[in-house]
Amino acid sequence: MTSLDPRVIRLPEIGEFGKIEPKAALDQFGTFEVFVQPAEGKSFQHEGIVHASNLELAFVLAKETFTRRFTCFSLCVVDTREVFASPFTEGNQNAYDLIPEIFGQDGPKVNYEIYHLLKRGKQHIHAGSIQATSPEEAMSIAKSQLNKGKVIFNIWAIRSSGIRFTSVEENDLWFTLPEKKFRDAAEYKGGDKLKVFLENQRNST
Amino acid sequence: MYGGGNTFEGIKTEGLKEEDPVKLAEFEARIERGEKIEPSDWMPQLYRKQLIRMIEQHAHSEIIGALPEGTWITRAPGFKRKMALMAKVQDEVGHAQLLYSAAETLGKSREQMIDDLITGKSKYSNIFNYPTFTWADCCFISWLVDAGAIVNQLANAKGSYGPYCRALDRICAEESFHLKYGHHCVIFLATGSKIQRDMFQDALNRWWPPMMHFFGPSDKISIHTQVLMKWKVKMGTNDDMRNQFLDMYVPKIWELGFTIPDYNLKKNTETSRWEYTEPDWEEFKRVINGGGPCNKERLEVRRIAEERGKWVREAMKAPKQKYVTPLA
Repeated sequence: MTSLDPRVIRLPEIGEFGKIEPKAALDQFGTFEVFVQPAEGKSFQHEGIVHASNLELAFVLAKETFTRRFTCFSLCVVDTREVFASPFTEGNQNAYDLIPEIFGQDGPKVNYEIYHLLKRGKQHIHAGSIQATSPEEAMSIAKSQLNKGKVIFNIWAIRSSGIRFTSVEENDLWFTLPEKKFRDAAEYKGGDKLKVFLENQRNST
Repeated sequence: MYGGGNTFEGIKTEGLKEEDPVKLAEFEARIERGEKIEPSDWMPQLYRKQLIRMIEQHAHSEIIGALPEGTWITRAPGFKRKMALMAKVQDEVGHAQLLYSAAETLGKSREQMIDDLITGKSKYSNIFNYPTFTWADCCFISWLVDAGAIVNQLANAKGSYGPYCRALDRICAEESFHLKYGHHCVIFLATGSKIQRDMFQDALNRWWPPMMHFFGPSDKISIHTQVLMKWKVKMGTNDDMRNQFLDMYVPKIWELGFTIPDYNLKKNTETSRWEYTEPDWEEFKRVINGGGPCNKERLEVRRIAEERGKWVREAMKAPKQKYVTPLA
């Protein structure tokens, strides 16, 4: 291949131009939902997804994709399949109105993280944790405990043990962010140079 | 951020007659109220199809757009520029990830999108089919191509599809450094030696025609996109976006003492619109259809990367995983 870039010229010749075997399902792996806590004391909020082969790698990729540029205190990821979602509502209808009340289910209670969507078009925000035997029951309990009058358009319940949280020892992952000034718009001040240039231009004409 | 000048397929609105009229009216009323559409909401097939197409094109543009700049990382003038350029290129590839995810919520898998890029079935921003001969070409992209993309993306961020808007908000926030960095690079060339000034002037001469193409065909010849505007898929006409770009950046280019290679370029004080020589739309079509100087190289680089990464993806595949469409 001809190119201005020697690294491109050195690429090995594999296969044929424009031809590729159609990819099998999951060639790009399954998806994981990513949540970021932007600062200590703030709530976690949903940021997006990453594709990864497992939870641990999803955590690493999420760090790179979602916390490369802005402040982050803590990060967590969970397999998309672990998220139990309520129906979406609109207008003045609260999604909790569609959640049936479930009482006294048998079985051991585990922790569920509840996320609320408070404005359509925005992100889901962590609302609290609930002990329950199933995600359905967690939503039912959240209906009485976390439903505080505001209209909520969508609810997520996620079993906490399925979530990969940031451990205490990992909190220093983001310590170096403020040192990376070359990623900061404020570091690129060309104004002075430009001013001198324009003055010289004016003086010479 | 590199999206812009999207090409839309011929829009056949006949299919709309088959949509449920009550649902369609509700859908349009929601957009009219300024509410966002979320993945689980009902939407017309045409809306889904065109959005997938647009977001996917945008994602491909980020991936391919990383190539002409990335080639200069090894030869960037100095350590600071090298660090900045690496961070910028990493951002672009990160933006592609965000955009692929947004498109995925509409039901097209990432596997399929990547295959369609490599086989040439889906397009990407035409401007990246041109080579970066010198460092000044790279600076032109960092400053002005990014600037053009920002004009488009700020408009699209007000669109109707929730996941795309959220991705764009994030992208726009990350983008501020790219524009400042690019301007900084050009100011340094402009205030440098005669050789440096000439180098940027040459780059400007080379890149101006593709820059004018960047916003897509003129409204006079562009496919009718009324329904896409109504649904807030497309937020402004190609000519509006081009005009806004000229308004913001032509004075900044002139300020640095450079000449834009179009003697007809001037602002009409009565209409406050820019007048310019009509870009060569035949050339635009030729390049989009594979005839540009770098089309082949760009796609080959992607294809070979896919082929070489295959064994890694195979080795890491988790058999227990099952694909579900991401939620938001």
